[in-house]
Amino acid sequence: MENLMIIRAGMKRHKGSLFGIAILMFLTALFLNVVLMTAFSGNSYIREEMERAGFGDLTAWTADVPDMEFLLESIREQEGVEDAKVQRLIFSEYEANGVESDSEGQMIPWISAEIGISTRSRYHFFENSLSEYAKAPKEIGEQEVYVSPSMKSMMDLEPGDIITFPIARGGRNLSLTVAGYYEDPFMGSSMIGMKGFLVSEKTYEKILSVIEDSGMDALARNGSMIHIETAEGITVSEMNRVLTTNKPLSMYTEFIHSAETIAGFMVILQNAFSALFAAFAVVLLGAALVVMGHSISGLVEQEWKNFGILKTIGFTGKQLAGQVMMQYMAAVGSGVMLGMLLAVLISGQISRMMVTTTGVLLPIRFPLLPCMGVLIILLLLSAGFCVLCLGRLGRISPMAVIRRECEGQTECGRNLCGNKRWNGKRGFIQRADARMRRKKVSAKHMGYGTGFPAIRAKGLTFHLALRQVLTGRKRYISACLVAGMLVFFASLTGRINDWLGVDGKGMMDAFNPADLDLGVQVLGKIPAQEMEQVVLSYTDITDSYMLAMPSVSVNGTNYTANVITEPERFHISAGKTCREKNEVVLTEMLAADLGAEAGELVTIRGNKGSREFRISGIYHCANDMGANLGMSREGYLSIGEDDSRLWCYHYFLSDPSRKQALTEKLEQVYGGDVYVHENSWPGLLGIISAMHLLIFFLYGVSVIFVCIVTGMAGARILDTERKDIGIYKSIGCSVEMLRLSFALRFGLVSAVGAVIGTLAAVGFTDVIVSSVMQLAGISNFASGNTPGSILFPGLTVTFLFLGFAWLLAGRIRKGDMNVLTAE
Amino acid sequence: MGGVKNVILQGEKITRIFCQGKVEIKVLDEIDIKIFEKDFTVIMGPSGAGKSTLLYMLGGMDHISEGHVFYRDKEISSFAESRMGRLRAEEFGFVFQQTHLVSNLTLLENILVAGYVSKKDSAEKVRERAENLLRQMDVEEAKNRLPYQVSGGEAQRAAIARAMIGTPGLLFADEPTGALNQANTREVLNLLSDLNRKGQSILMVTHDLRAAARGNRILYLEDGKICDELALKPYNEMEEKQRERDVSQWLSGLRW
Repeated sequence: MENLMIIRAGMKRHKGSLFGIAILMFLTALFLNVVLMTAFSGNSYIREEMERAGFGDLTAWTADVPDMEFLLESIREQEGVEDAKVQRLIFSEYEANGVESDSEGQMIPWISAEIGISTRSRYHFFENSLSEYAKAPKEIGEQEVYVSPSMKSMMDLEPGDIITFPIARGGRNLSLTVAGYYEDPFMGSSMIGMKGFLVSEKTYEKILSVIEDSGMDALARNGSMIHIETAEGITVSEMNRVLTTNKPLSMYTEFIHSAETIAGFMVILQNAFSALFAAFAVVLLGAALVVMGHSISGLVEQEWKNFGILKTIGFTGKQLAGQVMMQYMAAVGSGVMLGMLLAVLISGQISRMMVTTTGVLLPIRFPLLPCMGVLIILLLLSAGFCVLCLGRLGRISPMAVIRRECEGQTECGRNLCGNKRWNGKRGFIQRADARMRRKKVSAKHMGYGTGFPAIRAKGLTFHLALRQVLTGRKRYISACLVAGMLVFFASLTGRINDWLGVDGKGMMDAFNPADLDLGVQVLGKIPAQEMEQVVLSYTDITDSYMLAMPSVSVNGTNYTANVITEPERFHISAGKTCREKNEVVLTEMLAADLGAEAGELVTIRGNKGSREFRISGIYHCANDMGANLGMSREGYLSIGEDDSRLWCYHYFLSDPSRKQALTEKLEQVYGGDVYVHENSWPGLLGIISAMHLLIFFLYGVSVIFVCIVTGMAGARILDTERKDIGIYKSIGCSVEMLRLSFALRFGLVSAVGAVIGTLAAVGFTDVIVSSVMQLAGISNFASGNTPGSILFPGLTVTFLFLGFAWLLAGRIRKGDMNVLTAE
Repeated sequence: MGGVKNVILQGEKITRIFCQGKVEIKVLDEIDIKIFEKDFTVIMGPSGAGKSTLLYMLGGMDHISEGHVFYRDKEISSFAESRMGRLRAEEFGFVFQQTHLVSNLTLLENILVAGYVSKKDSAEKVRERAENLLRQMDVEEAKNRLPYQVSGGEAQRAAIARAMIGTPGLLFADEPTGALNQANTREVLNLLSDLNRKGQSILMVTHDLRAAARGNRILYLEDGKICDELALKPYNEMEEKQRERDVSQWLSGLRW
């Protein structure tokens, strides 16, 4: 009962600090739980949906298969194949809102009974607001098409917009109106270039007949997805190897992906952002614990005398520590619980916000075990921190506490212990004196005996602030540490953002095997020289090379090969590039997959034959989750057939600003016979805007944190310095000068923290982010180093501390000078 | 102190009301007071009479409920915070019972800061004057120590030096010897007497008879009003005992 009374009284007295701790813990728990819910729900939902909708363990995309039944049978006959189902489609380029697709779209007929799979149960449809599901339409109109919500972020497609599919040369285009959005758990993410379009069965049939009629002039192609179920005990990679050696399938296969790879692509962005958010949540947790430690120390200092009195009436140090701990645990517990509950709502909101990026409406599930784990970890960490900070209560005898010996010794409400150290018989001596004796510093420069910089007339406000900080370091350490942590994370995010660049060049460079300004793929029978003349009529070409991306199998597994005419353009990170005909370069991921190193041999099969190649080096290219290889043109032609349509001409322009005009001209002159692309892709815009949203959010949370930390630390400092403030006022210091001096203290300590945070970011960003980026196949992350990215976070956080401290110091105006009155 | 005296500080109908919940307590009740230049004015009275409150009202350290305060004919009771701050820095000096030195500044720094704030002289001159004042106050040895490292007397003498660094027009002292032992009390009082002899106007609150005897004008405050006034000759050490007897006799008459 007596404990309860003291706890209640303590909570009432320190309600401000406890409320601050509760808010910090609330934010931390909210972040951690949102990350957990989003990550867990996203990953499990995608896999469940893929399974429900009948996508196999492996999916092979095929084109122009003359006898589908024969092909399916030959696949089913393979050992380890349990079943194979086909989903028909038409490959076609598309254009909407003035944006051309960078890879073929797949028009999927929405029919009730295919070979074994009904598309009607396969896909969910969205309301146009994208906030919830809608009933599936009875029929899709002949002029209608349903698209993935990610098309909204990629091409700004909305219901009512027109998509044009060039079906055949001679202007035989098909224009369809977007009727709505559907959920595609297979290709819906904006991180996947190939996109599905749901069309009516009649439209599908009509396109097929146009393709057949057009013969060689057809631009669209009759294709299919073959979803293959594997038997238990057979690994997907083993199956992949078997299927790529299956003659009929390998003849028609464009590419094969495992369900795992597809799911990885679908949630890649979500996982990358979850990792960033999780890291931020850990930073927030660290900051919250630092603030809590500071708050407990302040409370102990403030309540020192009361603790002594309570000890004299029989309370033990443990009991007192327990009482304080209960107060803090109540604050921590309520904050964490509220954070957990609110995380459910926020996660749902985030899921709806992300639908145009992920392409799916992730249901929010409460992952009980991980969330309870977070709750327990937060409570245990907080409790451990309390025990650590309150341990000293047990070591002090009641009289020593009352006499204010050692800890909490005060004079005029000021803690002097921080300035003292034990010196044997002489007892506590001023640290500054000791420092002076050690360093023999000149009194003139070192504050006339204090060991601190002297107080000077010029910049008096600053010098007073500096003295307060130096003599009361413990009071400001939380602000310094929190500033350091926030700046570190803000810098880290800013450097990722800089790496991305305004137009996403950083990411494109990571995905492209070699740099370029403009790429032109000639699909028709146009001489490349003629097309180049058009380019030259706009701007000089400073350099050029050709790139093809055929599918090859390496040691039996299919991968994309980046075949280049100038292998020295590959971004090599180890070894050397593949200049010789018998050399290849692998990405770090592929080398790890194959367990191969530079110098070793691999067998590569193309559509003409196979032979051994020596791995000459490791290069960067994040395509296909970073699992691809690079070859020279000569190397590829020794195993693969040449085809003029394989090659994309990559140009470096003397005036890159003409790219847009040039693209329009080429499309105007050659229509669907050329495919023009820049060093960009539509999905990038979604990533960049998500990154900006993250940074905006991050700074928002940082503002709240800085506000709380300044409020908690500053209010306590102002309380203990009431007399000093009165003294300064009595000698004529203006309120504005005292406010500024107070704000400067926080500015100074946060600047120190900001420098530490910035240096830490410079030193560790690449290491930390690279490990996250590798999940997306990007192994060459090197953060941006613009002055903005280096200085902005530190300056922002410092000014935030300065600003909030200045606002808080408004209390100085109300400060009553009666505090100095003797009566 | 012959001739016509100039009024340096004047209070008209000064009233101070404190509110405790719904209860209003009138601590000062329409007090009219004049403080003359170069005088050593002492305010005495029983505990709770409102002596310190009156001192802080006159010094602009606290807001008055009603009335007006004039310093050299300018009404300072209506001054804004910033203007009042300038006045305190340039014209007023304060000495408190508890010394109230800033605890993380040395004695010298405490004085220097006040000098810098007053902005009357260059930094070099302020330092020179601070050193002189410390010498004059006999605390030169302790100048590089922090307040808690010196005796109460030394701290109070440093506080007087701080109050004097800006060459104030008027020095306010609130029970400056209240927390000192006998030897230190005498030192501090001698200092104040010396300053007054050199022309410094002083307004001091005390309930110490010996301290009061240093003044040349003593006001007696009771129940929020000035009840009586005693005029004395300027302080002379040779007449100290007689002055104390005179003051004692006067106070006895007031049933002090």
